[in-house]
Amino acid sequence: MLPVNKIAHRLCFMMSRTLYITCCCGCCSALRPRYKRLVDNIFPALPQDGLVKSNMEKLTFYSLSSPEKLDRIGDYLFQKASRDIYRRRHGFVIIAMEAMDQLLLACHSQTLNLFVESFLKMVQKLLESTDPQLQILATQSFVRFANIEEDTPSYHRRYDFFVSKFSAMCHSNHTDKPTRDSIRLAGIRGLQGVIRKTVSDDLVENIWEAQHMDKIVPSLLYNMQGAEKYETVSCLESETDTREGIEEPPKLAEACLRELVGRASYGHIRSVLRPVLTHFDRHELWLPCDFAVHIFKIIMFSIQAQYSYSVVEALMQHLDASGGGSGTRVRAARATVLSNIVAIAAGDSVGPSVLEIINNLLTNLRASVARDSEKESDERLYQEALINALGEFADHLPDFQKIDIMMFIVSKIPSGRGKPTKADCMLQSILLKSLLKVGTTYKTTELSKAFPAAFLEALLRVSSTSEARTRALLQRILHTLLDRRANAPLLLVPTVQYEKLGLTVEKCSRPDLIFISKHGHAIFSSLYEGLQLESNTAENISAIYTTLSLLAIELASEETVCDMLQLILAIQQSAISNPVLSTAQQCQLHAITVALAALVPHVLALPPLGDYIKQIIEARREEAEHMLPPLSDDYDVSPNKLPNKLPYLMIDQMALGECLKACGIEPSRLQTASPYSGGTAVGLAHRHSWVEAGATQGRDSLADISAGPVTELDSANSSPGVQRQTQYDALDEEYRMFIEKYNYNHRPSMPHFGTYRTDNEFWHWGHEDAHAASVHDARTSLVFVSVSISFDHVFLDDFSTFSSHFSHPTQSENVSLEALRRAASGPSEAERRDAERRKVSLNNTFRTAPFDHLLHITQPKYEIQDKLEEIFNSISEEPLLPIGAGSPAGKTQNQPYTKYLTELFLY
Amino acid sequence: MEDYKFLFKVVLVGNAGVGKTCLVRRFTQGLFPPGQGATIGVDFMIKTVEVDGEKVKLQIWDTAGQERFRSITQSYYRSAHALILVYDISCQPTFDCLPDWLREIEEYANNKVLRILVGNKTDREDREIPRHIGDDFAQRNGMYFLETSAKEAENVERLFMEIAVELMEQAKCKELPKYDGSLGPINGKTSSVGDSSCCSRS
Repeated sequence: MLPVNKIAHRLCFMMSRTLYITCCCGCCSALRPRYKRLVDNIFPALPQDGLVKSNMEKLTFYSLSSPEKLDRIGDYLFQKASRDIYRRRHGFVIIAMEAMDQLLLACHSQTLNLFVESFLKMVQKLLESTDPQLQILATQSFVRFANIEEDTPSYHRRYDFFVSKFSAMCHSNHTDKPTRDSIRLAGIRGLQGVIRKTVSDDLVENIWEAQHMDKIVPSLLYNMQGAEKYETVSCLESETDTREGIEEPPKLAEACLRELVGRASYGHIRSVLRPVLTHFDRHELWLPCDFAVHIFKIIMFSIQAQYSYSVVEALMQHLDASGGGSGTRVRAARATVLSNIVAIAAGDSVGPSVLEIINNLLTNLRASVARDSEKESDERLYQEALINALGEFADHLPDFQKIDIMMFIVSKIPSGRGKPTKADCMLQSILLKSLLKVGTTYKTTELSKAFPAAFLEALLRVSSTSEARTRALLQRILHTLLDRRANAPLLLVPTVQYEKLGLTVEKCSRPDLIFISKHGHAIFSSLYEGLQLESNTAENISAIYTTLSLLAIELASEETVCDMLQLILAIQQSAISNPVLSTAQQCQLHAITVALAALVPHVLALPPLGDYIKQIIEARREEAEHMLPPLSDDYDVSPNKLPNKLPYLMIDQMALGECLKACGIEPSRLQTASPYSGGTAVGLAHRHSWVEAGATQGRDSLADISAGPVTELDSANSSPGVQRQTQYDALDEEYRMFIEKYNYNHRPSMPHFGTYRTDNEFWHWGHEDAHAASVHDARTSLVFVSVSISFDHVFLDDFSTFSSHFSHPTQSENVSLEALRRAASGPSEAERRDAERRKVSLNNTFRTAPFDHLLHITQPKYEIQDKLEEIFNSISEEPLLPIGAGSPAGKTQNQPYTKYLTELFLY
Repeated sequence: MEDYKFLFKVVLVGNAGVGKTCLVRRFTQGLFPPGQGATIGVDFMIKTVEVDGEKVKLQIWDTAGQERFRSITQSYYRSAHALILVYDISCQPTFDCLPDWLREIEEYANNKVLRILVGNKTDREDREIPRHIGDDFAQRNGMYFLETSAKEAENVERLFMEIAVELMEQAKCKELPKYDGSLGPINGKTSSVGDSSCCSRS
C-alpha cells in the first residue's frame, strides 16, 4: 500500500468517527475502521448459517492483540444487535450475543471491564424484548458472565434492573407450560448469577438490601411452593448439579436459595429471613406446615452453622408477630416449624443463646396460657408444638445443659402455695409438661447429677400442689429422671407379680447411696405426703407407686431396704388412720403397700421377706381382693371387709424386722442413719410392748375410750411371757411419761420438724391427750411400782433421775431434756440384753391375740379425728424443712420422737 | 449511541382485575387481550415514546393485584418514577381500597413519585363511580386523574404520554433525584435518568 493510501485511510477513519459520533451512521464499508469490518464479517448473509467461525477467530485475535479496542467492539456489536431487535431479525441478534459471549470468555480479566459495559447493555436489551427466546438467551449469557471472576473492581455497575427483571421472569405466567418453565428457570438462573456476581464484591450493588431481597426471596419461594412433594435433603449434595443439570424450577430455586443463605453473613441473615416470613404470611403457606418445614430446614442446613441460632430467633419473634390477623392454628404451625428446626440449631448453640431460646419459648407459652383464645383446642395445639420444640431443642443439648434447662423451667413454675388461679394451674401444668419433655431427653447416670439439691427441692415443692393432674405429671417427671434401666413402663400399674415383668435390677452405686442418704428423707416424706391427699385419684396413687418402685429398684441395696420398708409401713398405717381418705383411696394405698412390699424382696433377693409378703398376698387374695392391685377407681366393699376391719391382713412390722434379721441385714444401723424414722428391730419390740402396755393399762386409760371388755385384754395378754410383761409395762410407762413430759414442754416447737414427722407426732399427742389423765393419776403409784420391779440398775438410775424431773416440773428445760435423752437411750440398752427372748414371746403374744382386741386398741385413734384434721391443715401450710437444718435443741427432740415414730407402724 | 434520551420507570398498582395488564398491553402492544389471566408477581414491558422530538423509554412494571403478592410488588414501588393507581369505575370496592393503596405507596415509594389515579373500564355500562368522585379523590390526594378504557383504547396513549411529558419536565428541571444506591429511601432513587443520559454520550 502507498502512503497516500494510508493517509486516505486515516482521513476516512477520522471522518467516519466524526460521522459515527454525530449521527451514528457509517455508510460506506470501505471507509470503516478495522474493528467494524471485523465485526461485520462475523455475520453471515443468512442468519440460519450461524456465526462465521473463521471470522470470529479473527475478531477474537484482534481484540486480544489490541484490547483498547474492546469497548468499541462491544459498543458496535450492541448497536447492531439493537437494530436487529428492532427489526425483529432475531437470528442476527443471537449471533451477536454469541460473539459477545466468545469475546467475553477470551478477554483477559484485566481488560474485561472495558467490554462488560456494552455486554450488560446487550443483555438488558435482550431482556427487555418480549420474546422468551431472547430473554432466555440473555440469561444464559448473563450467567456465563456471572461465573467469570473479575479481579478489577466495578464501581459503576448496577444490577437493579437485572434483579427486577429476573424476579419478574420467575413469576412468568406464559400460557405455554414448557415456555413458562424455561422462562422461570432462566429467571432463577439469572438471580443466581446476580447473587454470585454481587455477593463477594462489596463495591457493586449491595444485594442484601431489602429492595433486592424482597424480590429475590419471594421469587425463589414462589417457584419452590409449586412442587408436588417436599423432600428435604440435609446437606449440600445438590451443590454438585447446580450448574446446568436442573430442569425443574423448584429444584433450581432450592439450590439457589441454599446458595443465597449459605453466602449470607450474620448481618445479612435477617434480610433473607424477613422476606421469607412475609412470604409465608402473604401466601398463607404456614398451613399445612410441611412446606414451611421444608423451607426452614433448607435454610437451617445451608446457613453457616454459627448463625443458625438467628433463624430460630427470627422464627420465634415471628410466632406472635402478626398476632391479630393470623389465627391460632397458624401460630401452632409456626411453632411446629420451630420444633422441626430447633434441633438443627441446638448443636451449634452455646452459652446464653441456649437459655435465651428456652426463655423465649417459655415466654410464648406463658403468653399462650394468658391468652383468651376462642378455640381452646387450637391453643392447646400451639402449646403442644411449643413444648415439642422445647423437647426437640433440649434433646440435642449435652446432658449438663439439660439439667440447667430443667432448673430454669422449674424456677418459672408458679409456687404451689396459696390459692392458685386457673391460669396459674394451667401454666404450672404446661411448664411441667415442658419439663417432662426435657426430662425425657435426659439420660440419668448418677442421681446426684440428675437431681441437684435446688432442683430436687423445687420438684418436691411442686409435688404438693393442689391440682391432682399436676401432681401426677410431676411424678412422671420423677419417673423419667429416676428410671435408668427402662423399668418405668413395666411398673406403671401396681402389681405383685414381679417375676413376669423382667425388671432390670443392678446393684446400687456408691454415689447413689450417698445421694439417697442425703435426700432420701425429703423424697420419701414428700411421696408419703403425696399419698395423704384427699384429692388423689388412682392415677396419682399409681404414679407415686411407680416412683417408689423405681426408687426401690434404682437404689437396690441392703442399706436402703429399711428406709423403704419403713415407708411402706407408714403408708399402710396412714391408709388405716388418715381420716380424709376415702375407702377407695384406702384400698388403693393398701394395694400399693403390698405391691411395694413384694417388690423389695424381688429386687434384693430376701427370700424370708418374700415368703412373708406372699403369705399376706395369699391371705388377701382369699379374703380381701380389694386390698391387692390392680387399683380401681371404685371399690364396692362390704363394711366388714373394710381395710381397717382386717388388721390381720396388714403387713406386720415386727415380722418384717424378723425377716430382715433372717436375711442378715442389720436393722439397728438405721436407728441413727435414717432421719426418716427410728431403728427397726429395737423400735419394734418397744412398740409392741407399748401396745400391750396400753392394753394392760386399759383399766385406767383405755377403758373410757374403748368400749370393749377390759377383762378380755388381760386374758389376751396372759399368754406365755406374763412375767416379762410387767417389765415392759414399766418400760413403757417410763417411755410414755417422758413423752408426755416432752410434749408438755416442747409442743410449741413442733414446727421445727418436717411435715411428715409432725404428722406422725400428732398421733402421739392424740394418744397422750387420751391417756394423759390416767397417766398422771397413776404416776406416783404405777411408775414407782414399775421401777421397783425394774431389773436394770442403770436404767433405774436413769429412771429415777427422770422421775425426779418429772415430779419437779419447774426444773429448767435444759436439764429435763438431758434427762429425756438419757432416758431415751436407757431403755434400748436395757432391752438389747434379752431382746431375742422378748421378741419371741412378744411375737407370739401379738400374733395370737384376738383381732378384735387389736382392733379395739386401734379404735381410740378415730376419736381424735378432729384434732388430726386441724393438724393436717396446719401442716399443709408448713414449709418442708430438711431435718438436718434443725437447731441443736431440735435434734435433741428428735431422738425420742424417732423412736416413738415407728409405733405407728403397728397399725 | 443509545436509542433513547430518558428512561422512566412506571409501576401500575391497584386491586386485582381492574385492568392493569390490559392497559399496559394496549399501550405497548396495541391489543386488548380478552380473558387475560391474573398477573403473577410482576410483569415487565418496555415502550419507547417520543416527546418533543426526544426519545423516552418507559419501563413499565405491571404488578399483580392479588393480596398474596403484595410483598414482592411493594419492592417495585421504590424505584418507580411514576405510579399509576388503577381502579375499576364499575366496581365500588376497588375504589374503596384506594386509601389503603395510598398508604402503601406512602410507605414504600419515593415521596417525589409521580402519582396518577386512573379509573379504568369506561366502556362499561354499569358505572358505579361517577367521574367527579374519582376526580375529587385525586385532587384531595394530589394526584393526576384520568379515566380510561383499555378495551376501547380510550385515553390509554394519553395516559402514558402525559406521564412521559411530566417526567421529562421534572427531569429537565433536575427535580428528579439523582440515583445513589448507597443512600436510604430519602434520596435513593433510581438510576435511569442519570444512567441513560450518560449512556447516550455524544
